[in-house]
Amino acid sequence: MILPRPTLRTLAAAAAVTLLSLVATPGSAHAEGPIGYVRLAHLSPDTPNVDVYLSKVGDASFPEQVFGHVGYGIMTKYMPLPVGTYAVAMRTEGAPASSPPVLTTQVTVADGGAYTVAGVGKFAGLGLKVFNDDLSRPANGRSKVRVIQASVAAPVLDVDLADGTPVAKAVPFASTTDYQVVNPGTWTLRLRPTGSSVATTLGCDLAAGSVYSLLVLDSPRGLTLELRADARGGGTAPDGGVDAGAGGSSPWRYWPVLAGGAVAVVGLALVAARMRRLAARRT
Amino acid sequence: MSRAPRFIGIARPAPGARSVPPRSEARSVRGRARLIAAESISRHRRLWSALVLHRFEMLAWTSAVVVLAVTGLYVVRAVDADRALSGFGVRFVPAAPSDPPPTPCVLESCARPPLVGSPTRVRIDALAVDSALVDLALDGQGQLAAPASYDVAGWFAAGVVPGEAGPAVIAGHVDSTAGPGVFYRLHELKTGDVVDVLRGGTWVRFRVTTTEQYAKDQFPSERVYRPTPDAELRLITCGGDFDRGRLSYRDNIVVYAVIE
Repeated sequence: MILPRPTLRTLAAAAAVTLLSLVATPGSAHAEGPIGYVRLAHLSPDTPNVDVYLSKVGDASFPEQVFGHVGYGIMTKYMPLPVGTYAVAMRTEGAPASSPPVLTTQVTVADGGAYTVAGVGKFAGLGLKVFNDDLSRPANGRSKVRVIQASVAAPVLDVDLADGTPVAKAVPFASTTDYQVVNPGTWTLRLRPTGSSVATTLGCDLAAGSVYSLLVLDSPRGLTLELRADARGGGTAPDGGVDAGAGGSSPWRYWPVLAGGAVAVVGLALVAARMRRLAARRT
Repeated sequence: MSRAPRFIGIARPAPGARSVPPRSEARSVRGRARLIAAESISRHRRLWSALVLHRFEMLAWTSAVVVLAVTGLYVVRAVDADRALSGFGVRFVPAAPSDPPPTPCVLESCARPPLVGSPTRVRIDALAVDSALVDLALDGQGQLAAPASYDVAGWFAAGVVPGEAGPAVIAGHVDSTAGPGVFYRLHELKTGDVVDVLRGGTWVRFRVTTTEQYAKDQFPSERVYRPTPDAELRLITCGGDFDRGRLSYRDNIVVYAVIE
């Protein structure tokens, strides 16, 4: 049972190192891989279908995404993308990927940011535009709605709710409005060319805590309204963090006691060994 | 053999250690008797002291071994038995990362089949977490109340349902007063790790985008709970230093995940 001194020392050192290595907090996280959101839209009424290419600038490991046969009125869902700068290239439908694109633009995706990259304007003056979409939470369980105006038939228009609450006034073609905060519920959205009394209506459910875009498009029958949920959140959201721990794994509760005990015991063992040796020498 | 006797069973000291009595005393009977008595007493004393020392040493070493064993147990718990065992094929191995990423489904026409019912379980294979889900609600201050049990996770039932568009919230304790809780290792989750939530008979798969840590008094509610375009998950537990005055951790760990 009596161990030689070097072994004893090694043991004591090992115990000390082990204890030291354990004095670490349970949670020390590091952030990596935040994302933003990008969607693509074709909002030019007289522009034929296009192919859209999305790639990450300076990052060959990001596989290039190709969206073929994108026609007028198509707006994709948001894609969650790692933050960074992305290149959007538009080619005529069926053109080889190696051919020079008709239009290109770049979109810089920030942490939590949302962007709509849209082909806008008439074909003659087609451009790629990046809209910043504000998906922040509407306060107090309300809803947010805005207009994306892509109609040349009604180049300037007004939008309101059936109760008269204005959503947007005099919205020009190829533009978007700011988001308006409205009460959630079932609504009839009314839309009419500025100065006209002929309204196009759309019944819609606006959920609490959600964010919508009203897409205004030309169609053979006149105006088409499409309500798109840009983002959804609950009607209620917690305020602040969560108290979810009682400290039982927190290092400072037991480790000083344990470490002290270990040191004391090892020390006592050393003293005992020495006393034994002294006693042995005396006899 | 110069060492002292070690065990009770040794009746007499080693020969070399015997003291030599002075001759004059050894001559008389009484003197001899006195000598024998003195020798017996001294021998007895030596034996006794050796015995006490021996016991003491035994006790010390036993305690040392016990302390080291307890330390070892804590090491295994803290450093994570699961990861330590991964070399033996015990750990669940996620799908090979070399798989090409699926083409994003960005049109409404390729929507996922609808999910029904409340979420009932959460599984995080990377952390060996597999827990039932209880309903959570807000407390009087509008803060999310953690599950009553330290071993079970819960979801914010008045908020977004996991799998539906929006940020669904799942919370669990990092520890109890006695030891690790259900989300003890939540901070270990990395980008790409998988979190599965059971709804009805369907497991909904989320992938971790980022793990962040915030001081509770600077908790970014807007960032954590704001609306999202698609189904996302927020896994929340405690972290950082434990405030013994308030009996509460100072920080929150928040894991962000997006539906696959």
